[in-house]
Amino acid sequence: MTKIPVHLDINGQHHELQLEPRVTLLDALRERLGLTGTKKGCDHGQCGACTVHIDGERVLACLTLAAQAEGRSITTIEGLAREGELHPVQAAFLEQDAFQCGYCTPGQIMSAVACIREGHAGSDEEIREYMAGNLCRCGAYPHIVAAVRQAAQEFAS
Amino acid sequence: MRDFSYLRATSTDAARQAAALPGAMLLAGGTTLIDLAKCGVAEPDTLVDITHLKGLDRIDVSERGATIGALAKMGHVADHADIKSRFPAISEALWQAASAQIRNMATIGGNLMQRTRCPYFRDPANFSACNKRVPGSGCSAIGGVTRGHAVLGTSDACIAMYPGDLATALVAFDATVHLGDRRILVDDFFLLPGTTPDREHAIEPGEVITAIEIPGSAAARRSTYLKIRDRQSYEFAAASAAVGIEFEADGRTIRDLRVALGGVATKPWRARAVEAALKGKVLDPETVRAASLLAVEGAVDHGANHYKIELAPRVVARAILKLGETA
Amino acid sequence: MTVHTRHGDALDGALAQALGGRLSRVDGPAKITGAAKYAVEQQLEGLAYAVLVESTIASGKVRAIDTVQAEAAPGVLQVLTPDTIISLRTASDWFGTPPPDKPYCPLARDITFSGQHVAAVVAETFEQAVAAAALVKVSYDETPSIVDLSDGKAGDGIPIDAMTKEWGDAPAAFAAAPVRICAAYNTPREYQAPMEPHGLVARWEGDHLTVWEPSQWLDGMARTYAEWFEVPFENVRLVSPYIGGGFGSKALALSHGAVAASAAKMLGRPVKLVMTRQQTFTGYGGRAATRQTVTIGADRDGMIQSIVHRGVNETSIDGMWVEPLGSVTSIMYATPNFSSRQNVVRVNSVVPGAMRAPGENPSAFGIESAIDELAYVVGIDPLEIRLRNYAEQDPHAKKAWSTRQLREAFAAGAERFGWARRSPEPRSMRDGNQLIGWGVAAGTYPVRRAYGEAVVRILADGSVEVESSSIDMGQGTYTILAQTAAETVGVPADDVVVKLGDSRFARAGVSGGSRLAGVMTGAVHKAATSALDQLVGLAISDPRSPFHALQANTLVVAKGRIGSPRGDGPDVSIAELLKSVGRDRIEATGDTMPANSTAEDRYKNYTTIAMALPHTEGDYSRYSWCAHFIEVRVDEDFGTVRVSRVVSALDSGRLYNPKLAESQWKGGIIMGIGQALLEEGIMDRRHGRIVNNNLADYLVPTNADIPDIEVISVGIPDPHSSALGGKGVGELGIVGVAPAIANAVFHATGKRVRDLPITLEKLI
Repeated sequence: MTKIPVHLDINGQHHELQLEPRVTLLDALRERLGLTGTKKGCDHGQCGACTVHIDGERVLACLTLAAQAEGRSITTIEGLAREGELHPVQAAFLEQDAFQCGYCTPGQIMSAVACIREGHAGSDEEIREYMAGNLCRCGAYPHIVAAVRQAAQEFAS
Repeated sequence: MRDFSYLRATSTDAARQAAALPGAMLLAGGTTLIDLAKCGVAEPDTLVDITHLKGLDRIDVSERGATIGALAKMGHVADHADIKSRFPAISEALWQAASAQIRNMATIGGNLMQRTRCPYFRDPANFSACNKRVPGSGCSAIGGVTRGHAVLGTSDACIAMYPGDLATALVAFDATVHLGDRRILVDDFFLLPGTTPDREHAIEPGEVITAIEIPGSAAARRSTYLKIRDRQSYEFAAASAAVGIEFEADGRTIRDLRVALGGVATKPWRARAVEAALKGKVLDPETVRAASLLAVEGAVDHGANHYKIELAPRVVARAILKLGETA
Repeated sequence: MTVHTRHGDALDGALAQALGGRLSRVDGPAKITGAAKYAVEQQLEGLAYAVLVESTIASGKVRAIDTVQAEAAPGVLQVLTPDTIISLRTASDWFGTPPPDKPYCPLARDITFSGQHVAAVVAETFEQAVAAAALVKVSYDETPSIVDLSDGKAGDGIPIDAMTKEWGDAPAAFAAAPVRICAAYNTPREYQAPMEPHGLVARWEGDHLTVWEPSQWLDGMARTYAEWFEVPFENVRLVSPYIGGGFGSKALALSHGAVAASAAKMLGRPVKLVMTRQQTFTGYGGRAATRQTVTIGADRDGMIQSIVHRGVNETSIDGMWVEPLGSVTSIMYATPNFSSRQNVVRVNSVVPGAMRAPGENPSAFGIESAIDELAYVVGIDPLEIRLRNYAEQDPHAKKAWSTRQLREAFAAGAERFGWARRSPEPRSMRDGNQLIGWGVAAGTYPVRRAYGEAVVRILADGSVEVESSSIDMGQGTYTILAQTAAETVGVPADDVVVKLGDSRFARAGVSGGSRLAGVMTGAVHKAATSALDQLVGLAISDPRSPFHALQANTLVVAKGRIGSPRGDGPDVSIAELLKSVGRDRIEATGDTMPANSTAEDRYKNYTTIAMALPHTEGDYSRYSWCAHFIEVRVDEDFGTVRVSRVVSALDSGRLYNPKLAESQWKGGIIMGIGQALLEEGIMDRRHGRIVNNNLADYLVPTNADIPDIEVISVGIPDPHSSALGGKGVGELGIVGVAPAIANAVFHATGKRVRDLPITLEKLI
């Protein structure tokens, strides 16, 4: 199939790609653009490792066609820290040791940033439920909850 | 994934026309379609992306009811203040579905088109027999791993379970699907497998879901969605119940009752026998438990899914009693 | 990968930097910003993509492979089949056993399990390779398969005599015992399911092979690749900067690696191959399914007189995996009479592999469930019966424990959990519809020891560099080695750079069996001590040194500065000293191997597990220990089990970094919760195939399934277990969790579930 031009706005930068329509946003990021912070864990919407923001909302890059994301604003983990300053959620993850192998971590952090923004970080129970779409096999969950709680409190104060 | 061409619809009419082309499929959130394309189940020639259409994501809620645009995202509807207050079961069904990310992608219209999670349906490379995929090829699930399969509405051709949560709540409250100008009850929109399990929805080529409409009612206002599963979250239901209730002025006698089951049937399953048995009765645990057994009248198990027949009435009873407690 | 400690958490003070301090993960900043490049994320020019095609039958032969359509598909560069792939040589196993002199083909003609690699497609893009792989048509001559342990054709299996442990007369003592219990305990196939799927990028330059691959054992995998392709070991470079979880599954080079490296060689281009999530369920082995019968004879006070244990685990048709099921059974409790034997049964499965605490994990499920059953039979508190039968020495090896803080673990955990408030009767605690149960179980894991090696350099700017081909898959290797070098040399951890994950660095053995920290802190300590000695020696003896005139016997290095022990004389930085003596670096290689070791010994030590030191060597028996106290809530109508409280007290000896050790313990406990309640490979018996081969159907715990977990360290430094006093951390936490949950479920419901996982249909 012929490739089509796809213009992507990622972390405030404009990218022009020629892609087959079947290329997912995830594979465009990882294999075409070298933005490998977004991880592939299952490729079927079952793990959350590929979580990115599109127009400020958390979504899965593995089930999004790159072409679909044209005209939207995409943020990946690489675009979260501003001018070298860690995002408060990133800092909280480090402080709370909310990860081990680090592979699910970019997805957890992108999900956590959105979770707080959505107003779904009001209690530990709510955080657990609204972070349940990001699997972590190392088992950092209690520390992830602590990190999200801490960052949410920082935002609130 | 087989290659396909990509078309971005600029209007609902254009989408309708494009969708009528052979091999064309509408692409909304993509959470079912892209997944199934990767599984080799969906093999579209053209994907018609409707996610950029304007105006199809409105959520209008009034005393009379709610009209939700087909492109409204599941997550947005779940969090909508008026949906939460007037249709708690709808909100609860939505936020307990999938994950927050998927709910931000998946649309209300697309969610109605969600396909079964039957592992045999999803794996054509290993299981060639599937009447849903290839009519007449047989059913690999019957005689196989059936723990997640339906016990209600099955046929000799298919026992695949309908996995959605939202539609379960919709059928409980007599919601309708808008296919442009055509209106159809959600209960009628979903088809039983019978001898044609490949045909799951009463939608014709070229038709596009534009909205769903849920009539307002006292029962919808006092409603809940109870979902039971192995895992606390991010899993399809082992059994679920959407229940709404309205009491007489005495606060104890059931005037109106709505019950629908999820996770146990081949389509969203309205349990009218339970409703009929309890209407006019005074709510009490024993009566409710006895009547809830009617929810699985006619159920047929395939071994490993037998537990669903035990479980579903208990879920129904708990949901009804929970609503009674909040009287 | 090089990790600079100085980018660590600004909140960490000097106290955190010391060994034993709570320094935040030094590789953390790279991981939380997306900068950490995992193995298959290397960007290479001319990269081609390979996708595997797998068998759809469990037993039989490949009759034909039709590649015509696939070869004609857009972008396809080659289609590999058993007939077209280059021939490799069989490699030795992980003991280094010389292999049979025969070819090795990573693509199968003879099918012994469903999901076996039979072909591969290489294309210009990932999408093209995926699409073309679906066009490869394989036909088979199918033969009946042995599905699993319960298959009528499976038989009793092969006795593994090496697993037999016996003393006293266990059957006679059992027959004579006034209280007797006997039950069978089963665990299903379980999968490591690391979030990063297995895969690699392989590139040939002449006869030199570079493999970027997530690896728990760079040198072991390099050896296998070298033997497969008949090139010198030195020609193979493994690079594994970060590993997205392994849990035992990433220690060995596997057939998909051979396929990718072959494709790269045939094509003359770098090739990337990543398994799909579905393929990870059959591309390598998870934990073998197991069955155990445990019989205990006891007196009426619950004192054990006899244990008779029989175990069986699955292995594959042509591979051998022994899951040592008597490992905990034989050491946890004192008994005068004991018998444990084990068989393995061949089934049509991929050869099972190591998964977090192989052996100890299912073994503990048996014995720790059985003793709980005994407790109820004799009417003794489940904690009390464990204390009554406490093993004061290793009952099997008949040696003293090096350290065993299990009594302390029981005490600390019980106190914190509030065990004394437990109502003894089953079904006696509830909250509305929720039946509440409290369960306890112990866990253990042997201290696996080996020799290690490391290079430590003191650089011109006064910073310290550590190099090793060991790895960090989340255990915290980067961090604790920085702390070790910092403390040994006398610099802040901020000034230490740790380089890991490249087989060009100082060699390292397998990172498995919870041995890495003990081995590597010992090696780094030795190398750093040697570097420090050189530094001090230079300072004392070099005529250009400001300390030369001092005529000192020794000097003190602290916080990066050198001075005399009495504080008189000069006080200079390491950088200033090196400058004054005209050196741009000091380098020391430290290894903990015996002094007379040959080059061959070293090669064997780092590329096989044949030189691992027995944990019962010498006068002591060395184990880590733990006690889990768990509360479950079981819905009486739905049968759903939720873990609502966990308190675990653990003895891992000295902790090098408690912050990171606690994380690993909790991770093990959480995996144990999954094992107890969710995880199970579900077999279609007609096809001999696991059908829930994905993360929506093979359920691992989500965040919502996990309560807050409290862990308590009760360890003390154990000088017999490692140079710096630590024991094992990574595997320990999972051992005993499943029986603690099963015991809690019994307490809640009165139902004893002996088949994992404890799903709702077993309770309604």
